[in-house]
Amino acid sequence: MSDASATGEVLLRCKHVSVRRGDREVVRDVSVELRVGELVALLGPNGAGKSTLLDALGGVLAPAQGQIERHGRVAIALQAPDLARRSVLANVMLALAWWGVPRSERAVRAREALRAMGAEHLAQRPAGALSGGERRRVHLARALAVRPDILMLDEPFAGLDAETRANLLEDAVSALRSGTRATLVVVHDRAEAWALADRLFILIAGELVAAGPPRELLEHPPSTAVARFLGFDGSLQDAGEMLLTRPAHVTLDPAGPLSARVTRAVPLEDGVRLELELERGRLYTVAPLPAPRPGDTVRVRVLGGAQFPLPAADGVLASPPRAGARPQATVAPGLPHERSP
Amino acid sequence: MRLWWEELKVAVPLIFHGNPYLLSIIWFTVQVAVVATVVAAAIGLPIGLTIGLGRFRGRRVLQILANASLGLPPVLAGLFLFLLFVPQGPLGGYNLILSKKAVFIAQTLLALPYIVALTAAAVQGLPPGLLAQARALGAGRAQLYALAVREARIGVLAAVIAALGSALSEVGAIVIVGGNVYGFDQTLASAILFDANAARYAQAIAIGIVLIGLILILMGGLGVLQQRGGGIRLRFRSVT
Repeated sequence: MSDASATGEVLLRCKHVSVRRGDREVVRDVSVELRVGELVALLGPNGAGKSTLLDALGGVLAPAQGQIERHGRVAIALQAPDLARRSVLANVMLALAWWGVPRSERAVRAREALRAMGAEHLAQRPAGALSGGERRRVHLARALAVRPDILMLDEPFAGLDAETRANLLEDAVSALRSGTRATLVVVHDRAEAWALADRLFILIAGELVAAGPPRELLEHPPSTAVARFLGFDGSLQDAGEMLLTRPAHVTLDPAGPLSARVTRAVPLEDGVRLELELERGRLYTVAPLPAPRPGDTVRVRVLGGAQFPLPAADGVLASPPRAGARPQATVAPGLPHERSP
Repeated sequence: MRLWWEELKVAVPLIFHGNPYLLSIIWFTVQVAVVATVVAAAIGLPIGLTIGLGRFRGRRVLQILANASLGLPPVLAGLFLFLLFVPQGPLGGYNLILSKKAVFIAQTLLALPYIVALTAAAVQGLPPGLLAQARALGAGRAQLYALAVREARIGVLAAVIAALGSALSEVGAIVIVGGNVYGFDQTLASAILFDANAARYAQAIAIGIVLIGLILILMGGLGVLQQRGGGIRLRFRSVT
């Protein structure tokens, strides 16, 4: 799959790039473009080859095949937020020195970047005394301070607790957006991608399997593999069609057209995640408290979802949608399913 | 113990007598130790950093060789230099044999493995993410090396301390290449050997006490710097 959906000046273009780590081909035939002003998230499960692709796009690794054009300087913020044993401000100034920024400009630019990341109050603190979240902020500030044409961040929110990550994400959303730069962020959490990105690249097993705006991919996943990765965990089958659903598509409704049996109930903060067994498949939903218990029979309504032709008998789920048809969140013949409002 | 006591009673006054011979070998020892350590550091630090930080084929072999060279017997190094410096040797034309220069060269050669091997080990212990990040943000080799030395300063200072200790204490090589000529190219350590061989035990003990004092002063000073660790202000001008 290739990506060619956005508009604007192209700062990075790669065509049919494959990357090897030793004898293993980790990234296969990827073609993408990054344009000025856009913020793109590279999303994929662990081991998909995201960091390897990032290294290749950033020039750290040479591709085994294909071409990469870069128009401007690339800065990469690696996954490990290791800082030098000196103050926070000195760390950011050090990065500016590496980048080649004149000495006279470093302090001002370093403070500006720290302010953008909500870390100005840490300026004089020794790096060794920072918490995990603070280290991440300084690490991001270091990459922002150099003002690259193309900024690449490798899992900038990894290893943080939920609250710290949410706070950092909130600050990063505005700090990472720039009208003069293209930014590529590697994430493996979908929530981070939704919060940050104008466009998503989805990499699974080294292949770019989807590219496009997050909402569009969520509404029209191009394949069952992408749909599964995007959280379409429920499925209903009938008459050669398969409907994949996310929990949000499934609601408990006493007047619903489908009957289901609750097979599992997992308590969540704000309700219960239910596994529902139906005659023609299995669905998942999140129900408010008080929720039905395992063994109960409930009525269910499905609103939305993505429809695909039923996979071949060999059970391969990564088949593309029917030829000539885009997966639709509409009622399929034979499936008791309703158009989402 | 009686022998010890008798010799000590003679030795201690010798130290405070202002003996010109003793003063001359103290001065020469300090010169040799400092020059050998500084030259070994100037040569060995870049080599150690290259071995520790480099990503080239054969790096591991060099690391093994550097570590193995820590076990190099000083007399063997001395023999090697002797065969280089003798008039029939490859460097015979430089008149180095039985000279002070030969002593400086021998002690530098013996201090070098400590700097190379211990510096390489020290920088290899740094968080890999920091150096990789420096590379990713465009740091040149000089900036990378400066960062590594600063971050691994405790380990690098340990290398310098070990090199200085070697330069102060080793005798095997300098006796072979310098000849251990009385009052000319003797260090405190080689002078002890000289006096002990001549059965002048009181003088040997006196020199030994001075040597231990010198070791305590020089190594102690570096040790204090090392213990201060993060407090040391090693500043490197970044290459811009």
